[in-house]
Amino acid sequence: MSDWEPKIVAFLCNWCSYEAADLAGISRLQYPPNIRVIRIPCTGRMSPKFILAAFGKGADGVWVSGCHPGDCHYIVGNYYARRKFSLFKDLIEYMGIEPGRLHFSWISAAEGTRFAEVAIKVIKTVKDLGPSKYFIKKINDRVA
Amino acid sequence: MLGYLTKIWTISERLLKESKVDMVIGFRKGTVPMMNEPCVVKSPENVKELVWDSNCGINLANYLTDRKEKIAVIAKGCDSRNIVTHIIENKIKRDQLFVIGVPCKGMIDRHKISSMFEKEIIEVIEEENKIIVRGNDCEKIFKKAEVLQENCAICIHRNPVIYDELVAEPVKEQTDIDRYKDVRRIEEMQVEEKNNFFDETLSACIRCYACRNACPLCYCPTCFVDESRPQWLGKSIDPVDIKTFHLLRAFHCAGRCTDCGACQRACPMGINVRIFTKKLEKDCFELYGWEAGMSLDERPPLDTYRPDDPEDFIK
Amino acid sequence: MKIIRIDKKNWAGGLEKLKGSYRLFGPVKDNEFHNFKRLDKDELPDFNYFNTRLSPKSIIYPQSEIMLEYELDENKENHHVMKESKKDYSQRVVIGIRPCDASAFLLVKRNFDTPEYKDPYWIRSYEATTFVGLACNNPQATCFCTSAGCGPFYEDGLDVLLVDAGDHFLAKIISSKGENLLEAAGWDTETDADEQIETMKQEAEARITSFVTTNKLKDKKIIDLFDAPFWEEVAFACINCGTCTYVCPTCWCFDIQDEAYGLCGIRMRNWDSCMFPLFTLHGSGHNPRSTNMQRVRQRFMHKLKYYVDKYNDGIQCVGCGRCIRLCPVNIDIRKICNMMNSYEVQVTSD
Repeated sequence: MSDWEPKIVAFLCNWCSYEAADLAGISRLQYPPNIRVIRIPCTGRMSPKFILAAFGKGADGVWVSGCHPGDCHYIVGNYYARRKFSLFKDLIEYMGIEPGRLHFSWISAAEGTRFAEVAIKVIKTVKDLGPSKYFIKKINDRVA
Repeated sequence: MLGYLTKIWTISERLLKESKVDMVIGFRKGTVPMMNEPCVVKSPENVKELVWDSNCGINLANYLTDRKEKIAVIAKGCDSRNIVTHIIENKIKRDQLFVIGVPCKGMIDRHKISSMFEKEIIEVIEEENKIIVRGNDCEKIFKKAEVLQENCAICIHRNPVIYDELVAEPVKEQTDIDRYKDVRRIEEMQVEEKNNFFDETLSACIRCYACRNACPLCYCPTCFVDESRPQWLGKSIDPVDIKTFHLLRAFHCAGRCTDCGACQRACPMGINVRIFTKKLEKDCFELYGWEAGMSLDERPPLDTYRPDDPEDFIK
Repeated sequence: MKIIRIDKKNWAGGLEKLKGSYRLFGPVKDNEFHNFKRLDKDELPDFNYFNTRLSPKSIIYPQSEIMLEYELDENKENHHVMKESKKDYSQRVVIGIRPCDASAFLLVKRNFDTPEYKDPYWIRSYEATTFVGLACNNPQATCFCTSAGCGPFYEDGLDVLLVDAGDHFLAKIISSKGENLLEAAGWDTETDADEQIETMKQEAEARITSFVTTNKLKDKKIIDLFDAPFWEEVAFACINCGTCTYVCPTCWCFDIQDEAYGLCGIRMRNWDSCMFPLFTLHGSGHNPRSTNMQRVRQRFMHKLKYYVDKYNDGIQCVGCGRCIRLCPVNIDIRKICNMMNSYEVQVTSD
């Protein structure tokens, strides 16, 4: 397992974190290539189904990132999202996902450096946990 | 609670006679012990069909969704809170409703009684605070408190929060109740242990969706389990699909669930499905000081925000 | 027909012997109720039950069953071929099935085994199985088998009928499959107990207190029943869950699904329920049975009218009473059957 690398799905808000990722790239900042980015219009668009689908298909980690509170392109999308994330993270960890698989962050379009830093942190946390095992859907023996 | 019935009859009869409402939604006597069937009474001659006892655990708010008529509905504490939620969510209008409030002393748990009685139950008779269970040539008497549904035993809102008429004086509310003991027990578990616990809890699930459909909150025109473009959830008895269903079902009830227990009562396999919704209820209370369905003037927690909401978990 | 006496002290030994050549399934108490499950070594069926919570239909017809599978990994044999999945169709025996549930398989057979269409999965499973029924000495208050075409000692659908007679079982051999099974178990004490079984049968039948009347269903016009005014009332309480259909031994509907897992995938079928809106949803978005009432009507019309008309052999129900006991809102098929049976169209003058 020494060459195992985690797969992390990153849902990034179009107006900030997605731009920040771009900025990090343009600025030639280094972070490990473990994240797969999916662009979303706003963190308010995040559905728990996206997160569960990612875990179900075998993602080792999920990272959702959007604009700082007060900076939402749609004024309040991230305020609503924050409440949903709070409850959802608690619930999925209550049901048995390890703390450290699911991450949230606020990163503005100007924070390319911060993007790389958080990415490194997220990747390291997930890597330390090892491959995901609890919410992955596989062919199983109950299906005869 | 047994004495409520004549009052229910009088009120219903009056409302129907005076054409104040088009129908009364209540319960009629079931065909098997410990079961009553939700029913609708439309003419004053039929009000005597209505019954009231400790087997009225189905949440009648479920039968109000998107109705256009003028309706009188019999409501326990939890039902009334779900009616409030329905009004807030525009599933019915307040002025369409005449709420016949029932101060509730709890419903009895038919799963529990069946498991405490070895023979087949032929008849269950209720006297004040006493439940007499009869089988063929055998009888067992329980104190009502021993056989209450678990959500009723820990209920702290037994009296209706909105009503147009009460059938009796309000009952005393229970205090000093630890509502979340079971949730904390799970929160304290290790990851592995949690997974084992939930796998075991859900191993009997047959995906009949009785828990979802008995719930007054589940009225989406297309439920996420029925979505096919894209299909979020497989249809088999795969444990991950089952777990995902229960997780999302609970999440959809976040900040709306009143712990009426209809889901658990409906489950044909006796699964403790409240264990999911209760976690969210606890969180909503702890994070946002929210209890669902207590007021018509407040927005539910996922429909509002405060700039200073807790966000320790966000980097 | 031959009757074999099995002393209860020889019961466990015989079953262990059977496990050499058969896979055994029997009722086992798990949590608070019984269900059928594969019996491991030294595990005995638990006969202290009225009936299992779920019907034994899943033994022949699992809730989720893989039909075909494929593999896209080019290093594997037969990659890129959709092929039948390998399954164990070796001999097996279901011990302790109630006569009503066994006769339900005969009703279901009409769907899976027809002259035109044969369902290979169902037929292979069914044919590999020997049914050892356990007669109901004490039927429940919700059992109405005697008026639903079978009974507590009903034999059709069984290979052996087991009667609990205190310190021993009486095993009535009904088919050659059954005879082979008893031989394999080493039970061979023939006895003459026809009369005893007959008396017990009559006693058990007399204990059945609940009935349906079905005599007039056949003569009703479909359209009259379809348009009957009582459906709105019947459907009022229904929450449209699938409990009744999933616990029913005679409900056979399924839905075929494909699932992909990386480089491999399966085609499977899962039980479906006419209570769900998705059951009839068209690709266009149109749903011919979009309302609760339509779906409730469909369930009862299928069981109590369409089936009756199509096969001319009674209702599609064996009277096990599971849907009555488990319906979350107490919808009672007995009541509805009687309502349909006694329904007369009101003739109006205009």
